[in-house]
Amino acid sequence: MPSVKTIFARDGALSQGVQGFIPRAAQTEMAVSVEKAINDKAQLVVEAGTGTGKTFAYLIPALASDKKVIVSTGTKNLQEQLFHRDLPIVKQALGSTKKTVLLKGRANYLCLHRLAQHGGNSTLFEKQTLHQLSQVREWANSTKSGDMGELKSLPEDAKVLPFVTSTVDNCLGKDCPDYDDCYLVRARRKALDADMVVVNHHLFFADMALKDTGFGELIPEADVVLFDEAHQIPDIASEYFGEALSSRQLAEMGSDMEVVYRTKLKDAGQLSKAAEKLRASAMDLRLQFPQQPQKGNWQLALDKQVIRNQIDRLTDALELVYEVLKVHLGRDKDLDSVYERCVQARARLSRLTDTEKQGVSLWYETTPKHIILHLTPLSIAKRFAEYVETPKRSWIFTSATLMVDGGFEHFTGQMGLKQARTLGLESPFDYPEQALLCVPRYLPEPTAKDRSSALVKVSLELIRASKGRCFLLFTSHYMLRQVAQALEELITNPILVQGTTSKGALLEEYLSSGNGVLLGTSAFWEGVDVRGSDLTCVLIDKLPFAAPDDPLLEAKIADCKKHGGNPFAQIQIPRAVIALKQGAGRLIRDTSDKGVLVICDNRLVTRDYGRIFLASLPAMQRTRTLDNAVMFLQQLQSPHTEQQCAHEPELKETEV
Amino acid sequence: MADVTFYLLEQEELDHKPAPQALACQLAASLYRQKQACLILCDSQQQAEQMDELLWQLPANAFVPHNLSGEGPPRGTPVQISWELPQRLSQPVVINLQTQCPSLPGSVRQIYDFVPAEETQKQHARDRYKHYRAAGYQLDTRPASSLDESEHGKDL
Repeated sequence: MPSVKTIFARDGALSQGVQGFIPRAAQTEMAVSVEKAINDKAQLVVEAGTGTGKTFAYLIPALASDKKVIVSTGTKNLQEQLFHRDLPIVKQALGSTKKTVLLKGRANYLCLHRLAQHGGNSTLFEKQTLHQLSQVREWANSTKSGDMGELKSLPEDAKVLPFVTSTVDNCLGKDCPDYDDCYLVRARRKALDADMVVVNHHLFFADMALKDTGFGELIPEADVVLFDEAHQIPDIASEYFGEALSSRQLAEMGSDMEVVYRTKLKDAGQLSKAAEKLRASAMDLRLQFPQQPQKGNWQLALDKQVIRNQIDRLTDALELVYEVLKVHLGRDKDLDSVYERCVQARARLSRLTDTEKQGVSLWYETTPKHIILHLTPLSIAKRFAEYVETPKRSWIFTSATLMVDGGFEHFTGQMGLKQARTLGLESPFDYPEQALLCVPRYLPEPTAKDRSSALVKVSLELIRASKGRCFLLFTSHYMLRQVAQALEELITNPILVQGTTSKGALLEEYLSSGNGVLLGTSAFWEGVDVRGSDLTCVLIDKLPFAAPDDPLLEAKIADCKKHGGNPFAQIQIPRAVIALKQGAGRLIRDTSDKGVLVICDNRLVTRDYGRIFLASLPAMQRTRTLDNAVMFLQQLQSPHTEQQCAHEPELKETEV
Repeated sequence: MADVTFYLLEQEELDHKPAPQALACQLAASLYRQKQACLILCDSQQQAEQMDELLWQLPANAFVPHNLSGEGPPRGTPVQISWELPQRLSQPVVINLQTQCPSLPGSVRQIYDFVPAEETQKQHARDRYKHYRAAGYQLDTRPASSLDESEHGKDL
C-alpha cells in the first residue's frame, strides 16, 4: 500500500479513482495523523469542522493499514451510510479487497427461537401484531442475514419486533436449540473474521461493558478503534457503565413464564400466579408516579414510605418468582433463562435501592406505561482510561464538535484520555462570506415567562424573507408547540413539526415542499444534512443549556461542587457549547451554501460566557440588526445567487 | 467631583468606523478587562444600536458583554449603552457620545469624552469642555493614540 499522503495527493489514488475529489490540506493532515496514530498505537482526538471530509480521512488510513479495525458511529443510519455509501467508494479507489462487515445491535436480528416460540401461540397477540408476525414468518424463509431492516414493509416500531428478536435478557446463548443457525451468532462470527467492522456506539459500549455477553466480544480482537460522532460518547458510555432495571423487563419475565406455562409446563400453575404477582407489583410501582412521563431523583423518591413499601412488595414478588422457578429448574431452557434473569434482577434491584453508594447517581424515568430505574456513574474517566491503556492499541475519536473555546479538555477530561494527541481542523468553508449570525435586539430575557410572541415575530420576518426553507430549532417542546400554533395562523408555508411523523419522513416532506418551515427539538439539532438553497435560515430559540432538573446532571453538578469545582463553567457551559455547535452546524453544509443563523438568546451578548460560545462557533459575520439578516436572505433570492446555490438536495437523516 | 478625560481625534474615521465610536469601543473593552462597569451615553437610539453593533462585532477574544437600555438581565451588564440618562445611574464611569453635556450625578467618578476631527463636532466638544470646566470638573486632554499605549497598562 502506498503511504496515506500519496493516496491523498493531487495525482494519488483518490484523485484518480473518485470523481470530483480535490485534495484539501486539512483532510490530508487528518489522514496523516490517523495513519501515525495507527502506527504508534496512540490515542488521537480530532475535531474536524464541517466539510473537512473526515470520513475519508479516517477510512483510508484504516483500510491502508494491515490492522483489524472497529469503526463506530452514532446511529444505525449513519452506520448504513458509512457502509453502503462511503466504504465502497474508498475500497474501489484503493483497490482494497479487505473484508468489511456491518454489524448492528442484537435487536436488529431475527431470533429463530423466539419466532418459533410465538409461532403456535397466537392468543397473546392483537390482530395487527398477528399480521406482522405472518409477514416476518414469510420473510424468515428467504432471508440470509436475518437483518430485520430488510423487511421494509414493517414499521420501525412494529409491535411484533420484541417477539421475534432477542434481548440480552431472554437470549439462551449457547443453550439455545437454534444456536447454530442464529443470525446474530453468524453476524458476530463474520465480524470477528473481518478486517473492518462498522458498529454503532451503543453496540460498542454494550460489548465493552460486557452488557451483551455470550457471543465472544469483538473489541479484544481489534487493533484500532475509531469513533466518529465522538462527542456523543461520554453520555452513551456512562449509560453502559451503569445499570438499569425497568418494570418492562420484569413484566416480560412474567410474560415469558406465562408462555412456558401455557405451552409446555401446563402442570405448573404457580408459574402463572407468581408471574402475575410480579407483573402487578411492577405496574404498581409505575402507578406511584404521575401519568405524564418524567425523570427524577430516585434517591429522593426512596425516602418516601409509599415508594419503599412498593419496593418491598416488588422484592417479595421477585423472591416468590425466584422460589417457584427454582422448583422447576432444568425442566425447560426458556424457563431456566428466566431464572437467570430473576437472579440478576434481584441483585440489581438491591443495588438500585442502595442509597449509600458513593460516586453514582440514582435516577428514574417514566414512560406512559413503565418505569426505569438507573444507576449511573458520575464519572467514567478512570474506568475508560484503564480500558484504553491495556492492551495497547490505537484509539481515534473524531467529530465536528469536540472543542470548547479552542481546547479539548472538556472531552478528554470526561473520557480520561490524558495521553491523547489532539488535532483541531477548521472547516474549509468561508464562514464570514457564507454565513451571518444574528442575535436580535430587545428580546425578552430567556428566563422570561412569555417569549413566544417575540419568537413568532422574529420567525415570521425570517420565514417571509427566506420564503420558507428554514429550520426553527427549540430547546423545549413547550416553546415549539407555542410557536407552531401561532405560525399556523400566520403563514401559508407548510409547517412541519417534529413528533407528527418520523424524522426521515418529516425531512422528506420538508425537501419536497420547497418552502417548508421545519420546527424541531433535539433530534434535529444533530445529524441532519440539508444542503444548498433548501436550507437558508436556522433559528435557535435559546442557548441549549441542559435542563437543570435532569437528575443525572443534577448529581454531576452536586458532585462537582462537593469537590470545589465550578459546575457552571466545567459542566453546563461546555455541554451547551457542544450542543450549540451541533445546532449551528445544520446551516452551512457545503462550500457554496449561504445562510443566516439567528439565535434568540441575548445572553450570548450580555453575559461573560458569551465569549466562550462565540469563540467556539465558526467565524460567521455578526449582526444584531434583524433587518440585516432579512436583507441577507432577500439577496439569496435573486436569480444570480439562486443558480449558485442550486444543488441536488442531499439528505442524510439519522435516527437510532 | 469626577475627572473628565477628552481624547483628541485626528481622523474622522478609524477602521472605517466613526472615530468617536471606535474609540468608545476600545475604552469599553479596556474598562471591561479591568472589571470596571461603564455606561456609554449616546445621542440617539440609532447611534446606540450602532455602538451595540460595533461591540458585538469585536473579535471573540476581545469580547465585551454589553446591553442596550431595554434589554438584558435585571442586574445589568459590564457595559450598558443608552440614549437617555438612566433614572438611576449605578456605573462609576461614563463614556459620553452625546452632543450636549449630560448632567451626571455625583456618583460618577470618571467621564470620557472626545474631540472629533470634524469641525462642527469639534465645536460642540469645545462647548462641552467649557461646560465641564464651569461645573468644576477636573479636566484632562490626551491624544487618541495614548489609548493604545495604555491598553496594556492600568493608566486610563
